Amino acid sequence: MIYLFQVLNGIGLGMLYFLLAVGLSVIFGLLQFVNFAHGAFYLLGAYLTYDLTMRGFSFWAAMPLATLIVAGIAALIEALLLHRIYKLPHTFHILVTVGLALVVQELVIIAWGPLGGSVPAPEGLQGVVILGDFIYPQYRLFTIGFTAVLAGLLWWLLEGTRLGAIVRGGSELPSNMALLGYNTLRINTAVFGFGAGLAGLAGALAAPIRGVEPFMGIEALSVAFVVVVIGGMGSYTGALVAGLLVGVVQSVMTTLWPEGARLMIYVGMALVIALMPRGLLGRA
Amino acid sequence: MNPLDKPYAQLALAVLAVLVLPLFLKSGILATEILIFAMVVAACNLLLGYTGLLSFGQGIFFGIGTYAAGICLTRWQIPVPVVLASAAVLGAATATLVGWLSIRRQGVYFVMLTLAFSQLFYFVAYTFSGVTGGDNGLLGVPRPSVGGTALNAPWSYYTYVAVCFVAVFAILVMVTQSTFGRTLLAIRENEGRAAAIGFPTKLFKLEAFAISGAVTAFGGALHAMLIGVAPLSNIEYHTSELILIMTIIGGSSSLFGSVLGAGFYLLLADALSTVWPRWLLLLGLVLVTVALFLQRGLWGLVERGYDLVFRRERAPETPAEEH
Repeated sequence: MIYLFQVLNGIGLGMLYFLLAVGLSVIFGLLQFVNFAHGAFYLLGAYLTYDLTMRGFSFWAAMPLATLIVAGIAALIEALLLHRIYKLPHTFHILVTVGLALVVQELVIIAWGPLGGSVPAPEGLQGVVILGDFIYPQYRLFTIGFTAVLAGLLWWLLEGTRLGAIVRGGSELPSNMALLGYNTLRINTAVFGFGAGLAGLAGALAAPIRGVEPFMGIEALSVAFVVVVIGGMGSYTGALVAGLLVGVVQSVMTTLWPEGARLMIYVGMALVIALMPRGLLGRA
Repeated sequence: MNPLDKPYAQLALAVLAVLVLPLFLKSGILATEILIFAMVVAACNLLLGYTGLLSFGQGIFFGIGTYAAGICLTRWQIPVPVVLASAAVLGAATATLVGWLSIRRQGVYFVMLTLAFSQLFYFVAYTFSGVTGGDNGLLGVPRPSVGGTALNAPWSYYTYVAVCFVAVFAILVMVTQSTFGRTLLAIRENEGRAAAIGFPTKLFKLEAFAISGAVTAFGGALHAMLIGVAPLSNIEYHTSELILIMTIIGGSSSLFGSVLGAGFYLLLADALSTVWPRWLLLLGLVLVTVALFLQRGLWGLVERGYDLVFRRERAPETPAEEH
């Protein structure tokens, strides 16, 4: 029973990792841009949710609001700064986004202090679900359902709509999209905001589960990297499979070996890379 | 080629830095820290500037060296030179392992892997707190002693580290000037072509990684003896980030640029961190500025300044090679 509990926890956690990784992946796919500030957007999403609920907003208003604010800020940063550096080597992409991540992290500490805090589960989801002798927190069950719906929407958005076709076309050959008459500058800004918004949303959803603290961004960034390395960048299915895998491994290990749970994520990654250098799904 | 880029000029500048630091700095600890990071950053530059590998995992090797010194010196009475040598060997071995796994992927995947490995080793140190002291680190790491007297005064330890620094820097200069170093440059420029000529490029990258890891762990061991602790923070993500930032700020086209990068960062940190605890905000802005306007780093500034002062009469189009 404890394992079922932990596997469910892992699925919830894994879906959040999936959201993070898809955001990172979409940005990289279209812009060929490594976003080391991705964790910072997750951090910001979590803190905005924390702040808004503290101000008396309902979680149901705070979560979408935080997501939109993060997406807006990211789009602004892209339009003002990042589009100037796409043509530079990766080193400078990393330098700028590491710098941005530092700025965000320090601003968060200035605004909300270094200690962090907790976000209560939203009203209506504060209790537990009881099925026979199985007891599970309602909010965690909600995140699983909600992220599953989101994952479906994302799939439809990327694979089934004109917008998704533009994004995929742009990631294959950006100049083609310009030739077809699309305003690639505006598309880049929108996609960057969208990807960062997904990270913000993951942060907002994670806040009631794990609380907020100023250094949660770095952890999220490295987990997103693990998911992307295992699952393959630009692969929706890869991100989903790898995200769930990482989440479940981490959760189950929490029971088996609490101190080593997070260590095992990285050991697992090292094993996958040693045995299957191209990652689980063998692309790129 | 700018005469300052010549190997002897680089070495002379390094020696000059060792002699100048005591004249301008009151704190021997700060000066020593600058030299330690200068060699560690130069080792990162061997990968970034000379091999084209952007490693976000240098903190792993720094931390390994720190713990090697911490464990050997607090638990067993092993002579310091032996400790430093074993830290370097351990660093090289770890770097070979991390390198072997990371080099399997290229480009951004490589960078992401090195970052993930830095987390892996952090959690190893955090989880096995019986060996590493966990959050508290290992306390009471002694300074080395020469001729029976411990180097407890900051400036006497500075001299010890300075000798190590000049030796390590000279080795790194020799490595970059050797056929091996030239081959690394070829790999950086065009790995496919280097492989087509018949160079085992993966092996070369791995060797560069091992050298870099050895020097970084060596520096980590010196650092533990400087501050008297082997702290968990030395193996954290932040240390990796710090080393990389210093490397890029200094400029990856010259080894002495790394000395400038380490000095610039640590002096800035020393001046600002007491005045304003949130000074990292400014550092973030500095990084953005460097990427936009100073892509060759501080060394690029030095080269430009040199050209301004000594070649004013020349037309800017004149190729520097004529000299």
